[in-house]
Amino acid sequence: MWLVSVRDLQFRARRFVIAIVVVAAVFGIALAMDGMRRAVQDEAPAIVDGFDADAWLVAEGATGPFTSTRVLDASVADDVDGARRADPVVLSRTSIAADTPRDVNLVGYVPGGIGAPRIAEGRAVREPGEVVLSSGTSESVGDRVTIGGRRFVVVGRSVGGRYYFGVPTAFVDLADAQDIMFKGAPLATAIAVRGDADAPAGTVRFEDDAVVDDLNRPLQQGFSSIAITAALMWLIAAGIIGLIVYLSAIERTRDFAVFKATGAPNRVIVGGLMLQAVMVALVAAVVGIPISRLVALGMPAEAGLVWSSVLQLVLVAIVVGVLASLAAVRKALTTDPAVAFGGK
Amino acid sequence: MPDIRIRDLTMEYSSGGLMVRPFDHFELDLQTGDLALLLGASGCGKTTLLSMLASILTPTAGSIKVGDTEVTQLKGAELARYRRETVGVVFQGFNLIPSLTATENITVAMRFAGVDKKRARDRAEELLTMVGLEERMHHRPGKLSGGQQQRVAIARALALDPPLIVADEPTASLDYMQVDGVIRILRELAAPGRVVVIATHDDRLLPLADRVVELTPRHADETRPPERVELAAGQVLFRQGDPGDLVYEVDAGHIEIVQELADGGETVLALVDAGKYFGELAPMFGLRRSATARAGAGGPAVVTGYTMRDFRARRGEVAPSG
Repeated sequence: MWLVSVRDLQFRARRFVIAIVVVAAVFGIALAMDGMRRAVQDEAPAIVDGFDADAWLVAEGATGPFTSTRVLDASVADDVDGARRADPVVLSRTSIAADTPRDVNLVGYVPGGIGAPRIAEGRAVREPGEVVLSSGTSESVGDRVTIGGRRFVVVGRSVGGRYYFGVPTAFVDLADAQDIMFKGAPLATAIAVRGDADAPAGTVRFEDDAVVDDLNRPLQQGFSSIAITAALMWLIAAGIIGLIVYLSAIERTRDFAVFKATGAPNRVIVGGLMLQAVMVALVAAVVGIPISRLVALGMPAEAGLVWSSVLQLVLVAIVVGVLASLAAVRKALTTDPAVAFGGK
Repeated sequence: MPDIRIRDLTMEYSSGGLMVRPFDHFELDLQTGDLALLLGASGCGKTTLLSMLASILTPTAGSIKVGDTEVTQLKGAELARYRRETVGVVFQGFNLIPSLTATENITVAMRFAGVDKKRARDRAEELLTMVGLEERMHHRPGKLSGGQQQRVAIARALALDPPLIVADEPTASLDYMQVDGVIRILRELAAPGRVVVIATHDDRLLPLADRVVELTPRHADETRPPERVELAAGQVLFRQGDPGDLVYEVDAGHIEIVQELADGGETVLALVDAGKYFGELAPMFGLRRSATARAGAGGPAVVTGYTMRDFRARRGEVAPSG
């Protein structure tokens, strides 16, 4: 009966509030982690789509345009037959100089060509010495910044553009990227192509889906770690709720004995305990939503609130509540009604 | 409304590995309107008998009929319905649900039986008014005195107007100021259509009772002459759990004192030879026999039983048993 469950929650309010806060923190962290996982999973398609390329050409033996260390001559772009446009790009990693260097993805592209980012503020790169930075960096338009040992002027900020688990990106002139990565040699890590082009000799063609898979490949372990951690979070939440409800059940042994001695059906006792656990879990889920927003502030990727995850959280909370109550239910069902009389 | 018939009731249970038998072929009849007091020392079985009447404990053997219902045969939903609708229990120590108000403690019992919310609340308020707690309806047990809690417990027991009320030491936790109201209510409950059975140590309740059931073995008649008993080999003199009224001296042969174990086995505590005595504690303290005495398997035995007064008069003439 719900009244008994609610009144017991009120009667032991302090204990249940502590449990709700702790479980809400666990739920909040799990929710934020799930948001981060989804954000990271969305990064790869977003950066690949941002190039608006129909195909990618990489050197034979390369694993993909973003992950390979094999390079090809930038002039290969001139040999691509059938393409409406083909531009060499340099895709690599470097760092922004600071007291503690900050990692950035480096995208070198031909200004006005394939690879130009969408601009949120300022303008696009027009010539060497200019850089467009993605979110996740603190520099403003007009600031000067050293990237890979070269000085740049920040001329714009891009829409999105982070990848590799939220690492920000610096979009620079192709020549600057070649200077940073290849000491000025006219090399590229890939040729981005628009139109239906054949791969010239010595190159391999990648479609966007294969590029996305290749980009996510190094992150699979991270995704697995997040999934395992999230599962552990649910277990911890279930454990906390279960412990609290079980402790409550132990203290209420005589109450259950009285209920049984006065003819309460078992389903009423079982339902009451499960309802109590589910209520704790649901309230914790609701409180966990704003907590997840706070936690997300410290996450490396831009972890937004995903409402499907919230719905999932509510469903998981109900399941967690029911599972958590099982030990208490067992305790209640095995209580001898003779206890109400103070034993035999 | 039901009369109560208890026939050939035996109850055994294990305590510390030993077989305890508080009831052995016990019989009792109560009629509608009776207020029956179960009197006796702690451990004599008062609460056990109440628990069996409430169908919370099942006897080892025998019959308990409340009206036409054979209580010992109830199971499942029928058992739950009997507990809900036929018996109202007033527990020792009140046993109110601490998180619920006085009214809610009563309505919950009715809601279990499917009474709708409004009817349950009206009935709870009516009962609380009847027991003089109209000003305390929305107080939790922690905010009520012992007497007030006991009156709520009585009101809860009456919630579904059951024909049988069992009350376990209803005055044990109350001071003399609070006892008066509780006694008055209990007396009024025992009206035609209902039987009230109260387990108590409290002699103040004696004038209320229509029936008094003594569960502690009575002390033996002190004027009773010595009894000589001849036992064949292995023949039992008295059994564990029997009332104890005489102290025995062994005149010939020897007596085995054995304890029955809960698992059906037994353990031999002592062998009492001719010239020694046994069985003095039960008559001395009004207890049941804690062990069985029988003639040894090796041959017949002869014993003489004495009242405590006669036994004391003889002390010093016989050596105590080893």
